[in-house]
Amino acid sequence: MTARIELQGVGKVFPPLHRGQAPVTALEDVNLAIAEREIVAVLGPSGCGKTTLLNLIAGFDQPTSGSIRVDGRPLTRPGPDRSLVFQSPALFSWLTVQENVTFGPRFRGEPPAEYLPRARDLIRAVGLDGWEHHYPYQLSGGMRQRVQLVRALVNRPAVLLMDEPFGALDAQTRARMQELLLQVWELDRPTVLLVTHDVEEAIFLSHRLYVLTRAPGRVKFALTVPFAAPRSLALTGSAEFAALKYSVLKSLWEEMP
Amino acid sequence: MRPNPSTVLSWGTIAALLLLWYGVTTLGLVQPTVLPSPVDLLREFQALVRQGYAQKPLAEHLVSSLARTFIGLGLGLLVGIPLGLAMGAHRPLFAVLSPIFAFMRPIPPIAFIPLMILYFGIGEFSKVFLIFMAALWYVVLNASAGVRSVPQDLVRAAQNLGLTSAQIFRHVIFWAALPHVLTGVKTATAVSWAIVVAAELIAAQAGLGFLVMDAATFFRVPDVYIGIIIIGLIGLTLEVITRALERSLLHWQGR
Repeated sequence: MTARIELQGVGKVFPPLHRGQAPVTALEDVNLAIAEREIVAVLGPSGCGKTTLLNLIAGFDQPTSGSIRVDGRPLTRPGPDRSLVFQSPALFSWLTVQENVTFGPRFRGEPPAEYLPRARDLIRAVGLDGWEHHYPYQLSGGMRQRVQLVRALVNRPAVLLMDEPFGALDAQTRARMQELLLQVWELDRPTVLLVTHDVEEAIFLSHRLYVLTRAPGRVKFALTVPFAAPRSLALTGSAEFAALKYSVLKSLWEEMP
Repeated sequence: MRPNPSTVLSWGTIAALLLLWYGVTTLGLVQPTVLPSPVDLLREFQALVRQGYAQKPLAEHLVSSLARTFIGLGLGLLVGIPLGLAMGAHRPLFAVLSPIFAFMRPIPPIAFIPLMILYFGIGEFSKVFLIFMAALWYVVLNASAGVRSVPQDLVRAAQNLGLTSAQIFRHVIFWAALPHVLTGVKTATAVSWAIVVAAELIAAQAGLGFLVMDAATFFRVPDVYIGIIIIGLIGLTLEVITRALERSLLHWQGR
């Protein structure tokens, strides 16, 4: 079986920002494979190249070495098959919730009869019904991230890429959003690659997780998260969860300068 | 509805100034040749409306000034907005043109009036051209700055959703840059009105600036004041209109 996303020996070196400085190696020999319908988290200390990794898979940037394949095909450019949820809400603030959500399919020329029902179902699934005609400035931070999530999922992406999607939210909202993500994921079960620095979030959401070393980022180890679905917030209070969280945290601390 | 205390205070200032003006002029504390009383001004204004100024109706002076402003400003916006947006999106174009704009911007446009007269004479063209140039600077600089300040995540979000470069420019970059563009339009409008008056002070046969200058030359002090007041009121109206335009186009900012 070919992996949905496969990275082989991926490295990324950025040219120096100023003359006379050394080039910056963000990633070095990263190997990872993500299967269909899998939720995988990538954890690492800040500055380890997590976001660089996501930008490469999204197609915003090219690796300096190695190869990235999605469904066995090498990547060429950004596309809605790999929908990205940004850490900042990155919503189009001049458009309503409904217009934001349907932005992609509308400009790709999809018939409204196809994407409108999809948008309506997803908006209801994340609890935003009644807010369709509001503008982003009228929404809370958590609601904006829900709009972003729907804007990504409405494309029915093979892969959902998430860059610290709940990092800017308060603790209660974040916990609620994590549960919501798992509920929404059940609808279509896309492959998810989640980049985060939050160990609890990574364990709670993912089937498997990768821990990266400090810069230049390399895979330190991969780990299968043993908890069965459906997971609820109660899981985070269990002793098994705490033990796993502690062991992952310990290995992350080793990577702190 | 209770009136806002600040509004009450502001109207109070206006009322106090009018009263002071009326007081010092009717009590004879100031010569009417220096400062005419409000009553005299009102009477003179009625005469101006009836008889016009310099064989031309008052409305013609008003329309001359406004027409010059709107033609110059309109052309400036028509050229400046697309040019500024293009400069913001296209690095080499920005590199080529920005030195010209950077050099011209700090020069008060009024400083070019003598040169305009030298090249193009005192006709309509030199005035309209001057306003066009001044409007162009402000709009180009703001529009290009607006495009360059569009957050990278917004562009990436649109790329990720599968939009083409042309679609991204039209449906994302344009809107994200619009607040800056409108700041440019607002400034350009205010500056254009200031320039038309200045240009008319120096050389014109009609227009509010001409009226003020000519009246001063012939010592018609009330007419000077009336001209200045009309110039001020029109300037204020232009500001109110551009601000309303900004509010309605940018309602999604929620301010």
